[in-house]
Amino acid sequence: MLELVHFQILSAAIFSIGIFGVLVRRSAVMVLISIELMLNAVNVNLVGLAAFVDRPADERVFGQILVVFIITIAAAEIGLALAIVLRVFRNRGSANVDDLNLMKW
Amino acid sequence: MNVNFALLSPEYVLVGVAFVVLTVDFLLPREHRIHLSWLAAGGLLASAVVALVYRWDTFETLYDGLFIADDFGLFFFVFLTILTAVVVLISHDYVRQHVSQPGEFYALLVFAAVGMVGMAQAGELLTAYVSLELLSFSLYVLVAYRRDDALGNEAGVKYIILGAFSSAILLYGISMVWGATGTTYYGGIAEHLAANEGDLDPTLILGLALILAGLGFKVAAAPFHMWAPDAYQGAPTPVTAFLAVASKAAAFALILRLFTQGLMPALEEWQVLVAVLAAATMIIGNLVAIVQSNIKRLLAYSSVGQVGFLLVGIAALGEVDGGVVIPNGLASEAVILHLVGYAFANLAAFTTVIAVDNHIGTDELSGYRGLAQRSPFLALVMTVALFSLAGLPFFVGFLTKFYLFTAATEAGLLWLAGLAMAASVVSLYYYLMIIKRMFIDDVDESDLLPLRINVPGLSWVLLAALLIGTVGLGVYPQPLADAVGAASGAILPGA
Repeated sequence: MLELVHFQILSAAIFSIGIFGVLVRRSAVMVLISIELMLNAVNVNLVGLAAFVDRPADERVFGQILVVFIITIAAAEIGLALAIVLRVFRNRGSANVDDLNLMKW
Repeated sequence: MNVNFALLSPEYVLVGVAFVVLTVDFLLPREHRIHLSWLAAGGLLASAVVALVYRWDTFETLYDGLFIADDFGLFFFVFLTILTAVVVLISHDYVRQHVSQPGEFYALLVFAAVGMVGMAQAGELLTAYVSLELLSFSLYVLVAYRRDDALGNEAGVKYIILGAFSSAILLYGISMVWGATGTTYYGGIAEHLAANEGDLDPTLILGLALILAGLGFKVAAAPFHMWAPDAYQGAPTPVTAFLAVASKAAAFALILRLFTQGLMPALEEWQVLVAVLAAATMIIGNLVAIVQSNIKRLLAYSSVGQVGFLLVGIAALGEVDGGVVIPNGLASEAVILHLVGYAFANLAAFTTVIAVDNHIGTDELSGYRGLAQRSPFLALVMTVALFSLAGLPFFVGFLTKFYLFTAATEAGLLWLAGLAMAASVVSLYYYLMIIKRMFIDDVDESDLLPLRINVPGLSWVLLAALLIGTVGLGVYPQPLADAVGAASGAILPGA
């Protein structure tokens, strides 16, 4: 039977995979996809809480409202980030985050 | 639900100004578009006046408590819109030389102001988050504004990736706090924390730690400060000033309200964490600043150090006496005062950097050799700004640091106050190195540029105003202290 804890474990796992991807991936696009994974881990957590947490239904529905906000903001954020990455790719011919090393320290 | 929409009119004015600026940009002939800065700055100041008229001495909540109109919110509304107006005006010369669409540049600054005032007045985590993102989105675009410049590109990518990363962490924290408490209202969180004292759900603690880390990223507290120097260096200099002053003030307004109205009952859990964060931020910011050779990067690390001082004030927001949390009103006053003093000094420093950059075309520290010969006035303003940032007497920085360290001592954080004083001494070292370059070193002989720097009239007026503010508030701080006292009293009742 599906319970709250399953959602929490799934969400923590996806979030960790996202952090891992941000840290090890070289391509800026893959880094952005990893960030998207992290944001969706938050959504999984909220949907799980909204369905299973031990509270009256009118309080729980707020979790779903949060999810709608997060999906919208994440979409806008990734759109903006891709535009900037595209600009870097045009100017340098590479979207590799390791190449962004003009500034150190 | 009864909503008094008149209370929201200052925000309507702000949003209206942003759209008017965008629209007028299309209607004006290209050569006149530069004058949109007057429209944007005038609109920002007008919204501050509207706020003073409609919000004077109110204490009301809107939209079922999502939005709180009180003296604290009013103070930050006026403070942040004035800061944005100053940034709009100091970017005038930069925009004339480098920006082809002034309307969108100024409109983004005004949209950022809308986000900032939302952050200061949100009474609930989701509202605070959406406001924070409105500010961040505007900043992502502004930081990456130099589209064909390699440094600008690099700054933009690093800023948006780390910004989105920190948003994800913040949201994960918010989801956990909501799951554990069933509410995202600051007041509701405080009630939950007070009712379950000593027996807090581990997910709630983890959620609060994640929120703290996410906000730490946004204000560039060490160890989450890596994006700040790169973003500061690559961004257009007026945007750097905006990042360093206004966005930081707004983030601290959010943090102050969240910590006083929401997290105060759990002081024991977070006080040590914030104190350690403050200590690390002061040490790293001030030590790494010493080795910098670029003025924008140096000021970036210096502002990381200043965030450390502000976090000292956050850590000192209360003390635990026999299991009871006693709020420390002096600390929240000190944080707000320091934000104001820091804003004056830092804006003066950045305005000087812009004037020098427009003339000699470099941000490297070597360009500041013999600045006193090039322009005694610029050298004077820079010196006063740096002395104030270091916290020397007679300047506003001394007064605000004095408040901060007193508050830390009163909250029983003696070690932190001692460390902060040591960090101030270190900061004085690298500030004095700049001053030495300006006054003792001579201008490079191979330098073929005209010796004298002509400061444009508008910059001259702004620099003089900031100079008078930095010195004047240090000598006669009473009016400011009264206003800050009222603002702080609104979020820390009974302290």
